[in-house]
Amino acid sequence: MVTELLSPLNIIIIALGAGFLLPLIHARSPRFAGQVMFASLLYFVIISAYHFYTLIGGAPAVEIITAGIQPPFAINLRFGLAEAFVLLAVNTAALFGARYMFDELREHASAMILFIVWIMGINGMVMTRDLFNLFIFVEITAVSSFVLVAMRANSIALSAGFKYVIAGTMASGFLLLGTMLLYYQTGTLNIDDLIIHQEMITGPFGTAALMLVLGAILVELKPFPANGWGLDVYQAAPAGIAALLSVGVSAAYLFALYKILPLLTSFLPVIAATGLLTFVASNFIGLRQSDPRRLLGYSSVGQLGLMVTALALLTKFSLTEYIPLVVGGLFISHFLAKAGLFWLAGIIKGSELGDWSQLRSKPVLIIAFLFLITALAGLPPFPTFWAKWQLVMSLMEYQQHGWVFFILLGSLLEVVYLFRWFGKAVSSQSDKALDISSSGNRQWLPVVLFVGLLLACGQVMASSFDLPVMALLPVYAGLLLMLIDGLGERLKQIASLLVIIAYSVYLIPSLDGLNWIFGLMLLPGSILILIASTYQQGTARPGFYPLFVMLVLSLGTLLAAETMLGFFLAWELMTVSSYLLVSLGKKATRPSLVYLVFSIAGAFLILFAFALIYAQTGSMQLSAIGQAGIVSNWPFILLLSGFFIKMGGLGVHVWLPDAYAECDDDFTAMMSSVVSKAGVFGLFVVGTQMTAQLNDMDTILTVVGWVGLIMALAGAIMAAMSEDIKHLLAYSSIGQLGYIVTTFAIANHTGWVAAMYLAVNHLLYKGLIFLAIAGVLYRVKTRYMYQMGGLIKNMPISFISVLIGIITISGVPPLLGFGGKWLLYNALLERGWYLQAGLAFFASAVAFLYLFKLIHTIFLGQRKSEHEHVKEAPLALLIPQITFMVLIMAFSMFPNILIQPLSDAVAPFMASTFTWEGYLLITENGYWNGFLVMNIVGVLFMAPAILLWLVSKKMKVQKVKQFNIVFAAERPFTPATTHYAYNFYAFYDKAIGFLTRPDATRFWNGVSEWGHTVGASLRRFYTGNGQTYAGLILFYIGVMYLAVRTL
Amino acid sequence: MNWALSIFYYIVTVLVVLVYGLLLYAFIAKTMARVQGRIGIPIYQPFLDIIQTYGRRTAVTHGYMFDLGPVFRLTGGLGTLAFIPVIYGSEIFGNFHFAGDLLLVMYFIFFGQLGMALGAGESGHPYAPMGIARGLAQMTAFEVPFALAVIAVFMQYETASITEIVAAQQGSIYNWTLFTNPFAVLAAMFAFLGMSMYPPFDLVTAPNEIPIGPPTEYHSAYLSLLQTNRAIFAGAKLVLFMNLFFGGATNLPIMVLKTWAIYMIPVLIGVAFPRFKVENSIRFFLGVPTLVGIIAVLYMQYWGTV
Repeated sequence: MVTELLSPLNIIIIALGAGFLLPLIHARSPRFAGQVMFASLLYFVIISAYHFYTLIGGAPAVEIITAGIQPPFAINLRFGLAEAFVLLAVNTAALFGARYMFDELREHASAMILFIVWIMGINGMVMTRDLFNLFIFVEITAVSSFVLVAMRANSIALSAGFKYVIAGTMASGFLLLGTMLLYYQTGTLNIDDLIIHQEMITGPFGTAALMLVLGAILVELKPFPANGWGLDVYQAAPAGIAALLSVGVSAAYLFALYKILPLLTSFLPVIAATGLLTFVASNFIGLRQSDPRRLLGYSSVGQLGLMVTALALLTKFSLTEYIPLVVGGLFISHFLAKAGLFWLAGIIKGSELGDWSQLRSKPVLIIAFLFLITALAGLPPFPTFWAKWQLVMSLMEYQQHGWVFFILLGSLLEVVYLFRWFGKAVSSQSDKALDISSSGNRQWLPVVLFVGLLLACGQVMASSFDLPVMALLPVYAGLLLMLIDGLGERLKQIASLLVIIAYSVYLIPSLDGLNWIFGLMLLPGSILILIASTYQQGTARPGFYPLFVMLVLSLGTLLAAETMLGFFLAWELMTVSSYLLVSLGKKATRPSLVYLVFSIAGAFLILFAFALIYAQTGSMQLSAIGQAGIVSNWPFILLLSGFFIKMGGLGVHVWLPDAYAECDDDFTAMMSSVVSKAGVFGLFVVGTQMTAQLNDMDTILTVVGWVGLIMALAGAIMAAMSEDIKHLLAYSSIGQLGYIVTTFAIANHTGWVAAMYLAVNHLLYKGLIFLAIAGVLYRVKTRYMYQMGGLIKNMPISFISVLIGIITISGVPPLLGFGGKWLLYNALLERGWYLQAGLAFFASAVAFLYLFKLIHTIFLGQRKSEHEHVKEAPLALLIPQITFMVLIMAFSMFPNILIQPLSDAVAPFMASTFTWEGYLLITENGYWNGFLVMNIVGVLFMAPAILLWLVSKKMKVQKVKQFNIVFAAERPFTPATTHYAYNFYAFYDKAIGFLTRPDATRFWNGVSEWGHTVGASLRRFYTGNGQTYAGLILFYIGVMYLAVRTL
Repeated sequence: MNWALSIFYYIVTVLVVLVYGLLLYAFIAKTMARVQGRIGIPIYQPFLDIIQTYGRRTAVTHGYMFDLGPVFRLTGGLGTLAFIPVIYGSEIFGNFHFAGDLLLVMYFIFFGQLGMALGAGESGHPYAPMGIARGLAQMTAFEVPFALAVIAVFMQYETASITEIVAAQQGSIYNWTLFTNPFAVLAAMFAFLGMSMYPPFDLVTAPNEIPIGPPTEYHSAYLSLLQTNRAIFAGAKLVLFMNLFFGGATNLPIMVLKTWAIYMIPVLIGVAFPRFKVENSIRFFLGVPTLVGIIAVLYMQYWGTV
């Protein structure tokens, strides 16, 4: 009984019945008609859900035989797991879609009928196993689509609907012709039968027949360039219809393609190529797009292209067992996200990307928007991420580098335009207000529900991979904290601190070796920086704490990762969360986008390398990196490049200064001191796995060594020329990370200890200085150093912080920094990199320039009159600073407590060359007793200090105000004009300023310009003219035919 | 190790170097005066100056960092000296060289300069940062040939220990780095011109543009600390150069003779040349001297070990 009630055939029966009854009921009671429609749609959902449930439990596929005769002599329908999956999705979307656009549907009975019939057509297309029957359902779907698109009856919608009619008719015509020819050759229309007898499809007739069927389906999937009509439809159709066109109708055609794919084995490369072309081209064009509806259109078309490619390639390489994961994953992501976004588009007024800022008035919607965008962009934890991972891995196993390259290129472009859109939504001011009150929750609730489904699907897909339980913890912790984001700042801070502390207590003991040291650096470092987060009293920071926790936890999972997937997942989570945190800055829209794009590009390099490694070794463990290194250097180079981008390496550093400068001041400390260490960690992951091969990589390592030092020099010079305090420190970070890169490339015991030591060092002093600067910026409200001056009187503790910080950076003994420099030169000399040592010396000397400029122009010299009453930084900032200072002093006094564990951690990979005699450290070339130096300097310092004190006891010492100076020859005018600060090193610029030309920035701007130009040129196909579109479809089919014939 | 004795010996060294440094300063001043046709100061004048400034009754302070500037400066001088063995093989003049090697000395030189720069900065006088900016900029440039020279020396002796470098030069005058590694010495002497603050590189204190630069506001006891340091620091630097390039010294008279001779080089060049502009000075050091330094390193890399 139940099985009969829930027979899939009932979908068609009910739809036809409802279609018949609805006009009658509507005439009596429109309200009741609506209920009937909903009941029917709900019934569809129940049927598909029930079968999905039983099929997944192992039940056999439901075969429906019509007319009492066995196929191939009669039409049969099949309801297998794949069908159930697609139809459950489509019918659910239809139910919510109907609810979403009920205001429009209930006006006319015909609209309701069309809607139901439309959905039935889709169901039929998915279920049928008969080619001619497929044609029937295609026609049913198409005709109802035409009308529904043009439902609003304005000129744009009508014209779009008409173009749709042209394209749809052409496609149906091809389909019918193809079907006829196939029947002519094989005498059957049953798809299964055709597959069995496919050897009968031969000769030009056979090719043409298949070509026509394929062409018809592909045209409906909107391939580039024959898709202008589709884009116009997406743009003009009512949002609810566009949503279902994008996800429902396309799903049906994709499924139809899937069904006939076994017939098309020789066409697979062409199918894959056309899909990929569409994917890349639409994403290029998306760069130029400013209308969100049309942008969604490009995104839809692109995603379909990718699915077609994946389907074709996986079939080609007999990887059909991955089709559910890859194509299913891409489909469900596209499905849920696109439906959600089209629905959101319907709520928003205006046709500019910036108009989406209306969403900000309802936080749940802006968060939903973010999730939908993230899901489309293929970032974790959403299904596309897993699908793309699997796709790339599988393709690489068959050495398909070219396909993977273009898939990643297209994905990168997708990230650019999707997040540019998000950036506009969070930064623009729309003059229109969001009005969702009239429709209640009917329009936005489905969106939120779909976001939930996306998360759930992501989780389900994650479980099919071999991942530790904690892999997605960052996401869940972030979501959990998101729930309390409305509470007070202090409360959220404490909650976040507790989460991070608990996580640290859990994680750190489970790590060992270098990972353990990184754990000890990154997690406590984050905690210290988080303590400062409440310094801006009375300022709410929505989203800050959940994202911060997510960032820190993803850093932790990165350290704990054992497989390449675990590593990549954590890396991506870290990228996303840090991007969002950067974007919280007031003017951070563009810088954060640039940061994201560079980070994702870096992540793709890492992905590519992982895939190469997997292909070479067949192992997903991180330890496979070492085995792969035997075969080629490429994984090493790619991984290094990926991490290099994260560290702001030379040439790819252009994201860094602005991203650091524009994010919240305390978060800059996090970016510089903690997040940049992820890149260093990456280097070490590669290095420690490839120790055996490093000896044979002399050339690569030498290049990397030089690049690191040039980075150090360039960073220092750029910093010395900066007037903006945060730019100065950002360039300084680039320079300091340069030393780490070089010491890593030295690849001996001293070198790696030096790299780790420098990393710890950088963490401590950059955390310290950036927090001190956050305090200054909070008080003086300007980032330009020449607008400050003389603040030592107002902010003595901040001054001491910066003082300790710059002494540490400069490497002057006896503080911590000297150890780094000492190890650096020792390592360079040990390696025999002599000229490099000279360059390192130059770079570290140039660093003095910016360090003095930093402390002088802010704290010394003359104070501006408006800063007379500036107060010391808030306590929240001072506490972590003092902690950092205590740590710096402790490590300076006892360098062995730092160097010894580092040396022990490095020793398993690079045998130790150190000898310890108490506090005395002896290397091959030199020796250094940090404890003794500290004591000698301490005592020596006391001597003149006491002398001065004794002398001054006898004297009358008069303390004067800042402006009371002995001035030669003329009288100083005002303190402001007496402060020597602007263009501090003008002569340096004259001498070697040519080194500071922003060539890298110019280059990347050129790349971006080029991308936009490509997008603009590709867009020329879309004239808006129906005849051109029809011509393009013919042209497309023709080219396809030629391509197939030549293969 | 007897710490009390070490400290006592160190104090002796400091006093000897102080007296020598002051005498040297007076001698040079007198030499320069004679070149310019003046009589010059009496040889004991620096001692009188220092006593005079220590004896001042009043002082003006601009703040704590201002007070600490000279303290840092003198600590820098004392410390640099402390880490250099002044006389090879001498227990009294050996100092605390066992605490660290050449790299420690090279970086500790910055200690006093940085502290002084900060103190002078707090004085609020614009000439101070101007002088410092010039000084730092020039320093970055002349450190390049100097570093390359030191690296070449390191390559030659395969150690960064100053004592061992001196030890390797003993025996004959032909064992001096001057003869065994001439390019390195040439590069280092170029750098020494920059370090010595004589024309054409006396930009930091440039008397007729930014009268005496960084120490502009320093007077009385502060100035006396700076004067003390000038003698000690100059002595320490000379001894370092002597040790690295000119065979070191095994007794006090040799030390005096050699350091005086080294000091005469910038003095003689100084009396003959006018002052460079800052940018010219930077370009100068990054030009020929750096090239010589690179040649020194390459020479050692490809022919030095043969």
